[in-house]
Amino acid sequence: MADTIQLQIIDETGASSTLTAIRGETILEAAHRSGVEIIATCGMRGRCRSCRCRIVQGVVPPATVSDTVQLGHEEIRERFRLACQTKLLDDTVIKPMPPKSESGHQLLAGHVETSALDIYSGVEKVHIEAKAPVSEHHQTSDIEEIFMTLGVSLKSNEVPLQLLQDLPIKLREKKGDLTVTMFRGKIVDIEVGDTTEQIYGMAIDIGTTSIVGSLLNLKTGEELSSVGMLNPQSPFGADLMSRIAYAQFKPKNLAQLRGKILSGLNQLVGQAVEKADVSAANIYKVVLVGNTCMHHILLGIDVSYLGLAPYAPAVRDGQTIAASELPLKSVPRAHICTLPILAGFVGADALACVLATRIYESDTVRGLVDIGTNGEMVLGSKDHLIACSAPAGPAFEGAQIRHGMRGAVGAIERVHIGEDVICKTIGDDPAVGICGSGLIEACARMSDANVLNKMGSIKATPGLPKEIFNRIRKSDHGQEFVLVWSNDGGKSEDIALTQGDVRQLQLAKAAIFSGVMMLMKEMNVKPSEMDELLLCGGFGNYVDIESAVRIRLLPEMDVNRITYAGNAALMGAQMATLSDAEIDRADELVGKIEHVALAARPDFQEIFIDGMNFDTPSVREITGVEEATAL
Amino acid sequence: MSDPELKIPEGWEERAVKDWEWATLWEAVEEGDHGYAHERVKEAIDVGIDPRVILDDGLFPGFNVQGERFSEQIIFIPEMLITARAMKAGLALIRPLLAANDEKPLGTFIMGTVLGDMHDIGQSIVTIMLENAGFEVINLGTDVHPDRFIEAAAEHNADMIGFSALLSTTVYYQKVTIDEFVKAGHRDKVHILIGGAPTTQEWADECGADGWGGDAMLAVNLARKLITEKRAAWA
Repeated sequence: MADTIQLQIIDETGASSTLTAIRGETILEAAHRSGVEIIATCGMRGRCRSCRCRIVQGVVPPATVSDTVQLGHEEIRERFRLACQTKLLDDTVIKPMPPKSESGHQLLAGHVETSALDIYSGVEKVHIEAKAPVSEHHQTSDIEEIFMTLGVSLKSNEVPLQLLQDLPIKLREKKGDLTVTMFRGKIVDIEVGDTTEQIYGMAIDIGTTSIVGSLLNLKTGEELSSVGMLNPQSPFGADLMSRIAYAQFKPKNLAQLRGKILSGLNQLVGQAVEKADVSAANIYKVVLVGNTCMHHILLGIDVSYLGLAPYAPAVRDGQTIAASELPLKSVPRAHICTLPILAGFVGADALACVLATRIYESDTVRGLVDIGTNGEMVLGSKDHLIACSAPAGPAFEGAQIRHGMRGAVGAIERVHIGEDVICKTIGDDPAVGICGSGLIEACARMSDANVLNKMGSIKATPGLPKEIFNRIRKSDHGQEFVLVWSNDGGKSEDIALTQGDVRQLQLAKAAIFSGVMMLMKEMNVKPSEMDELLLCGGFGNYVDIESAVRIRLLPEMDVNRITYAGNAALMGAQMATLSDAEIDRADELVGKIEHVALAARPDFQEIFIDGMNFDTPSVREITGVEEATAL
Repeated sequence: MSDPELKIPEGWEERAVKDWEWATLWEAVEEGDHGYAHERVKEAIDVGIDPRVILDDGLFPGFNVQGERFSEQIIFIPEMLITARAMKAGLALIRPLLAANDEKPLGTFIMGTVLGDMHDIGQSIVTIMLENAGFEVINLGTDVHPDRFIEAAAEHNADMIGFSALLSTTVYYQKVTIDEFVKAGHRDKVHILIGGAPTTQEWADECGADGWGGDAMLAVNLARKLITEKRAAWA
């Protein structure tokens, strides 16, 4: 095989690994095949700069169109290329140089109020004094003796084989002093001695970007530890559409994504039990929530058709699966419960938010919005609930924004514009980029300062303060507004918001805005009549509400009625972990919540287009029928 | 990169009726005032100006400058749409006159979003811009099955076809649809363009398209170029 070449990859620590690549394949293909992870936020389509690398040695392949568009001529001259586009011609040494820090971002935990909860998790531990069989004449067995002591009528084939294998030893070790664990009436564990206090469960929210988990005491409801990590599937695309595209009609890739999430979950469980100093073998119930795509990938269900209209999921009902069957090796005695899914893009996480916020028992109309790459929203009251999804894309994660980054240290998160611009970063570190919440606030303040017009164009209008005026300039990327000059920040280049960035934000926020507006229209309520709008999910809780309303990411309404709900999906999962009644409730709710398919609605397009502006009046879409005439 | 300026058509003064004011029509289209655009075009027709002149000297300048601004992201979808709407209001009056003068459309273009994809806005913008540029466009809507594209191409004897896809999961069907054209033996009869946010020039090459409409204006310019080449080859 003469057509193999050597690819050497030098990481940020200076360590290098050499792998064999096939001539003609891309750097990224070669790296991923050998298990070297290079982040490709856009799903390897040449649409972002996350897989940027520098050719340190070897033949520099010609720049592709995508290289030119994403990196610009200057970086191309400096031997920067996109790993996903660059085909290897000969032995090459590269250094991945992602534009901004892709790790260490904020994770949002949630904690559930247990007082209102009927704590019955379905897991029970019973301490027994069992007897070993004594009479040879009267044949019985170890397990039958245990059934008898417990006073249950079970059959031995309902007990996991594993528990039978060492039962003879366990039964006799402390003369029948045993603790039997039952889950929904079935024996799931037999331990020697009294372990009734060691009864744990875990609630996990698998987001496209991050995974958060919470270890709970199933008896007291107490949270023992809370943990989080980036979703290890991230190198295969930032948003779930690129994740689906990666696995679409490629079972091997699906298996690869599944492997990533399973090992990620094992790692997460490991962290949680270590922090709480308990044994993972005493975790008996794990409630997993996540969007439909994450749910399907975890269960190994094909996602090919999830990305194609009508985006039908393979299953909707909640599942209960023995961890050994999944297999989730870190929790050998547990059962995994998934909450039901509402639709292809309204997943179990949305249902968990409904559980947590209890909008199903509200007298007045309330709504919840999970602002994210795939926005999910539910609106209603005890009488009627409706839901929809709105694909906002990854702009809120800072992806496909020139200086965008996730909410990590050094990301601009607050922007003030007076006589000059003042930016605050996460951790008050020198600015290295801008995160989604910073982007929203920057656009809000730029609108106030007349740097952005209501259509989203960056314009130098007369009468601007000199310092502000000087920040508006033309570059290779069109008009841009400099937020942080290079000598003020920690960067060698100015951090600017380009016209293209504003356009990305306009598309993203129009998706969320029009989703919320369509539901309000469907419910026949005006924004002013909404009792409460709850912001759920990681991103929503960092958004400045006033700015979100200013740029019409959210409809024009009293900001006091918009509240942060924390990580409601995780809270819903916690509730379902502690209380089986909440799982029953979720099963019941899924049949009651009406799903609204936005794309199929003739009036959606007009609202979406109007929603791209920064001052869209909210009342007109509700009442103005003549505005909804097509082109 | 600078803000594109309104390009005044060469020799317009010789073609214009004395004291006829084109600038107000240019502005009406540029600013998207479709009521006023309609009114001014009607007046122009009434004084007997050649419909071709109304189109070239009256409607195109405002439309083209906005198209360039849109390409450079100086204006955005909502503004492009209102300009397109104003252009269309004027064009609606002129088109029957052009047809009566035996002016044929530039070409026939089939447009649609591929199977599995419900996105409408992108392809509507391209449709309206192609129509404004002089094409006859048959819009098949969204979620269009490959067979439906092939049928329409045969039925209308199409010169060109555009496949829109807005999801990274549905660009796959751009390739599938092109493959179906090959299987049906219809591939050589048409030019196929692809477009949509997740697409790139590389993807257009890979899936076997004849060109990539990176944005609406690029798509229109490419369509114009290809049809001109095709006509020249036939001549």
